[in-house]
Formats: sequence, C-alpha cells, structure tokens
Amino acid sequence: MRCDRYAAIEDYAAIGDGRTVALVSREGAIDWLCLPNIDSPSVFAAILDRDRGGTFVLQPSIPFESSRRYVADTNVLETTFTTSRGSVRVTDALLLPDDHLEPMRELARAIDGVSGTVPLGCRFEPRFNYGAAAPQWTSRHGVPVAAWEAEALALSMWNAGAPQIAGDALTSQFEVREGERAMITMSTAYAEPLILPSRDGVELRLRRTIDFWRDWVSAHTYDGRWSDMVHRSALALKLMIFAPSGASAAAPTTSLPEDVGGQRNWDYRFCWIRDSNFAIDALLQIGCYDEAHSLFWWFMHATALTEPKLHVLYRLDGGLGRGEYDLPLTGYKDSRPVRVGNSAVEQTQLDIYGALFETAWLYSEGHHTIDRDTGRVLARIADYVCTIWRCPDSGIWEVRNGPFHFTHSKAMCWAALDRAVRLAERGEVPARHIDRWRREAAEITRFIEERCWSDRCRSYSRVAGSDDVDASLLMLPTIRYDANPARVVTTIDAIDRELREGDFVYRYRADDGVPGGEGCFLNCSFWLVSALARTGRVDQAAALMERLVARANDVGLYAEEVDPSTGAFLGNFPQALVHLALIEAAVAVGSRQ
Amino acid sequence: MTAFWSSFAGGFLGTLVMTTMMRGAAELGLTRMDLAFLLGTSVTDNRRKAKALGYLFHFVLGVGFAILYGALFTIIGWSSWWLGALIGAAQALFTATVLVNVLLPVVHPRMATPDTAANDIALIEPPGFLMLNYGRNSFLITLLAHVAYGAIVGAVVRI
Repeated sequence: MRCDRYAAIEDYAAIGDGRTVALVSREGAIDWLCLPNIDSPSVFAAILDRDRGGTFVLQPSIPFESSRRYVADTNVLETTFTTSRGSVRVTDALLLPDDHLEPMRELARAIDGVSGTVPLGCRFEPRFNYGAAAPQWTSRHGVPVAAWEAEALALSMWNAGAPQIAGDALTSQFEVREGERAMITMSTAYAEPLILPSRDGVELRLRRTIDFWRDWVSAHTYDGRWSDMVHRSALALKLMIFAPSGASAAAPTTSLPEDVGGQRNWDYRFCWIRDSNFAIDALLQIGCYDEAHSLFWWFMHATALTEPKLHVLYRLDGGLGRGEYDLPLTGYKDSRPVRVGNSAVEQTQLDIYGALFETAWLYSEGHHTIDRDTGRVLARIADYVCTIWRCPDSGIWEVRNGPFHFTHSKAMCWAALDRAVRLAERGEVPARHIDRWRREAAEITRFIEERCWSDRCRSYSRVAGSDDVDASLLMLPTIRYDANPARVVTTIDAIDRELREGDFVYRYRADDGVPGGEGCFLNCSFWLVSALARTGRVDQAAALMERLVARANDVGLYAEEVDPSTGAFLGNFPQALVHLALIEAAVAVGSRQ
Repeated sequence: MTAFWSSFAGGFLGTLVMTTMMRGAAELGLTRMDLAFLLGTSVTDNRRKAKALGYLFHFVLGVGFAILYGALFTIIGWSSWWLGALIGAAQALFTATVLVNVLLPVVHPRMATPDTAANDIALIEPPGFLMLNYGRNSFLITLLAHVAYGAIVGAVVRI
C-alpha cells in the first residue's frame, strides 16, 4: 500500500492531548511524535526520514485493507484492518490526565478483535532527538524501557505478545480473536521518573479522554450547514493549542514539503501573531470562549517584552523564536533541508499589527473588557504603526526577496488604526492620539487607492505599482476595508480569474525568492468562499464551499496546500490556518443564507 | 519592639524598592515577570483588580519577610546590610526555583503547569525553571531586586 516508502500526507490522521501531537498513518504507523511538547525534538520522525526517523508500527502481519475514522466528536482515532482471516479495530489516543498519578505523556493503542483471528505485528523503534540518538534498552518489572539522556519511554503490553529487542527496535507478534482486546501503551517521562500505568488505569483514562472530547464538542454553539466539518476543524485546532501556555501552533509538524523534492520546507511549530487573530475570531464564532480568552492572555503576555514592536512569531512558551537550522534527515520523499526553527522571526511583517488590533477588537466585541494596562500598550502600538506603515515589509507570505510595499500589509495597518480608533471611542484604549490615528488611517487609504490599484487588472495589486494580483487581498472584505467597495469586488473577481485553478487558489504567480514551485494554499480557497459571501455572491460561495469540504482527507483534515492537478496534500499537516479559514467561511456563508 | 518596628519599616521600604525595580525592568522590556500580577490573579481574573490586589499581597509578604529577617538578626545578635543582601539572594533563589516555579502553579487556580493538557484551560503560562519562560533576564532581575530588598532591611533593622 505504501508508495515509494513514504505514506501520502493525506494518509495521516492526528491525535493529541493539548501538549503534543502524533501523526498516525492509514497503515497503523505513528511516524511523527515530539516529546514532551509539540515543539520538542521528535522520537518518531519516519515521515521525515524513513530509515533514521523512528516509528511505531502496529498492523496485521498479513496483507490487509484499512479504513478509519475518528470516534465521533473526538480526537481519538479508530483504524479497522480487514484481512483474509478476519478484522481488528485499533483505537489510538494520546490520553488526557486525570487527578491521579499518571505518566507525563501517554499514548494508548487498543486492539479489538472484530471478526476471525488476525495475526498482528508491532514494531516500536524510537529514535531520540530528531533521529540522532538510538535508545538504550532496559527493563523495569518486565516492562521494556527505551531511554536517552533525560528521556524515557516505557512500552506496557497486555495480550500483545512477548516483546523482543532486535537492534534498535522492539518487536512483538501476537493474534487477536473476535471479542478479545489487547492493549499497548507507551508512557513517557522527561527529566522525571517514569510512571508505569496499570491496565485498568489506561482503560479508564481512554474512556475519560473520549468523554472529554465529546463534552467539549457538545459545548459548541455552531449548528450550521457544515457543522460536521466545523466541529472537526475545531477539534483539529484544539490539538494545536498548547495547553500549558494557551498559544496556538500553526501546525504540529516541520518540513513537510510545499514542493515534493524541493526546498520549501518550514517549521510551523510556532505561534504566529496573525494566526492568533484568526484563531480568536474562529473560537469566538463557535463558542470556545475559554480558549479565546486564554489565547488573548497569552498574546498580550508574549508581546509584553517587545512592544510596541511585535515579532512575527513566538515560541509556544511565549519566548522569541529561534533561528533556523537544518537537520541531517533525508526529508519527506527527499525534500531537503529539514528545518528546525523559523527565520521568518527576523522579518518585518506589517500586517501583524492589524492582526493584533483585530484580535483586541474581537476580544472586546466578545464582551471581554480590555484592562487599562493592555489599553495603554495598544495605544503605544497604534502610535508605532503611525510611524512604520510607510516602510516596505516581507508581507503575509514571508517572501524572502523583499521587502516590498505589499497592499495587504498597508490594508492591515489601516485596520490596526481603524480598530484603535474604535477601541478608543469605546473607552478601551486611551484616546489621547485618536486624531493622529484617524489622520494616518486616511493617509493609508489614500496610498492604497492611488498607488496600489491596477487599471489593467481592475484589481488592487500585490505590491504598490505592480500589475500582479495576490490572494491575500481576499481578506479585504473580512477586515472591512471599505474605501471603494466596487474595487474590492473587482479585486475578488481578478483573483478568481487569475489565481484560481479548479476549486483551488494560488497565493500569487510572482517570484518570492525561494526556488521551486508550490501547490495551492487551501486557506486561500476558503478565503475566496468568505469573500464571495461577504460581497453578496452567497450561492457561488456555498457551491465552492461544498466542493472544498469534500477535498478534506478521509478523517476531515487538511494540509497547508494541495496539488491542484492530483489533489495530493502538500506542506505541514494538519494546518491550523486552513481549518480556521474553513470555520470563518462556513460562518460567513451560513450567516448570509 | 524596636526590632519589630524597624523590621516593619525596612520591609515596607525594601518592598517599595524591590517592586519598583521589577516593574521598571518590565517597563524596559527586560522581563515579562510581574509578581504582583501573578499573586493577584490567584484570586481574580480581572487584570486590573489582580494587579492592585497583587501589589497589596506583595507588600504584606514583603513586610512579613522583613519581620522574619528581624527575628533572625535578633537571634544571631547582629545585623548588617550585606547580611540582609545575602539572605535576600537566598530568598530570590528559593523564589525562582521553588516558590514561583513549583509551589505557585500548584496552588494558583489560573496558572498552567507543564502537565496542563487539553482538558484544562489555564490563563497564565508557568514561569518555568528560574522563571526563564518570562524572559531570559527574569532571574537576574529577581535576584537584584531581592538583594536590594535584603540590603535595605538589613540596613534599617535595629536590634
């Protein structure tokens, strides 16, 4: 089943516990898991290096077909393997802690015999520190333990055969008959002693984990036309919210390629300011008020060190992002380099100021009061925007051949000052400089209308003075840029005409300073849905939305991009921005139908 | 009584200087550490009230610790600014490694711990070892502020 030794990106599903995320392939292989946190080094990274990365495979030892789904309204995965001798169902989950002594992180794999007798094989092959370190094997009370420096993994097995250690891997062969249940649990520890769980404890936590996810989904308020996909997107987003800080990662993976075999491989295990804006918006729209509240607190806390200047991205613990370095891994289908860290942190991206103020505005609209200190910080940032909006930047797409005067960046600076004025009028931000903010917002509007309009394309241009279009301008209706509504409509038409391929939308056609091509960014397709709906073309938007939700993988997840010719996923997976855009699009269409 | 009231006065003055130093460091962008905020949010999620209450708690704690310093000086029979500074440094170490890093997340209803998972929502990130999650200068600033506090208490206390 596996093509050229690597599973397709769309063949993965994600499980998580709010601290880390594992990717499970359709064939029962856990090929990506970082411990103890999303942004820690990996213990399983076969998705980035089949030979050295490390994996945890549980599958029938005879030919099989597989199908899978999430247990309804949960982040618990069920994979059913069908063979000539019967079928089994494997339930994979990262367990949530309860009030008792449990492992630091705990991965459970329950195997239920559905019919016949199925022979299974388990291959547990951890490689620490992004594949650099093989485990040292020991045993604790008969439980095999793989350790390296301060990390340790214990593999507890019940009715799952006798483990054998061969080289760097632990293997086991066993059979499961109809009605039987086997269990394999990986418990982990970092810089503290291992906790070896009891089977009863694991079963209890698995049940409670399923109950928690169901309760969490049932608390949502969204009940529209695409509620299944909205709920799945919310569940995917919840996986990417790092619970110890409340920050939201852009994706739980690094270096899944935007261009297979190419260099467009980035580490997304950071919190981008602009994504936080989208996240708070989406979370509020579907009733996740606590998560939105927590994210806003993280947001204001993380930016406190650098304000009024903001960084593009922050580590999930609120620190400043690290620089990039390359790992000695072969990469997904030879897509090198495999990067850790993200050098976009050093870029100037002016749109993030608009994102910050939009977030503050949405937070305030969500009936949360902005405290006086935060209001003063926002006022200082608004003043700072007045001084920097005339500068060129690297833009929302983080181009590496800039800086340029991106129209989207200017529009977001306008949004920053517009929201600052509104917040000041509401008394949430000191109003001492409100006249200056109004004046500079009007200047930005004049700049956009005079220098960022292309008569040839009948569109706002990608950068001032050019004739290129850019999908980021689909956001103009969302940020309520209303200087010339007719121009906004024709800009959407131009993007639809020039960047769309089938149901998908490219970001732009211009050079961005990085070699190689890329697929269509899926968030752009959902932005097109929102833009069409917000400009009155609701039927057209709904039809496109129907087709896009059908392009999710079999468990309802999206990667960052898609190859428009094959439908294959590209880029990091699952990607928060796409799921955020899906929620926004569903709400935008739903509220207008 | 002299020791008690001089400890009280030293504690008040020392806490004033310490709080000002830490607040000043935050305003200069050197740290995200805000002890008053951390203390205050243990009783309210209203940020404004939290800071006001936190300052009050911090002063009460500062005076309380100064009285303990005064008792210690009385027991050993002498005091000096540098002995106070030394005890202040020890207190900073305890604060950064145990009090704020280990004990506070356990009792603070709105603070996460490294083990907080999806089934819990915290508003405040944990400080981490030596409070490094709040910026790499956090411990140094805490140390200097506590040394200043201890030195003032040591200089003011009369036994």
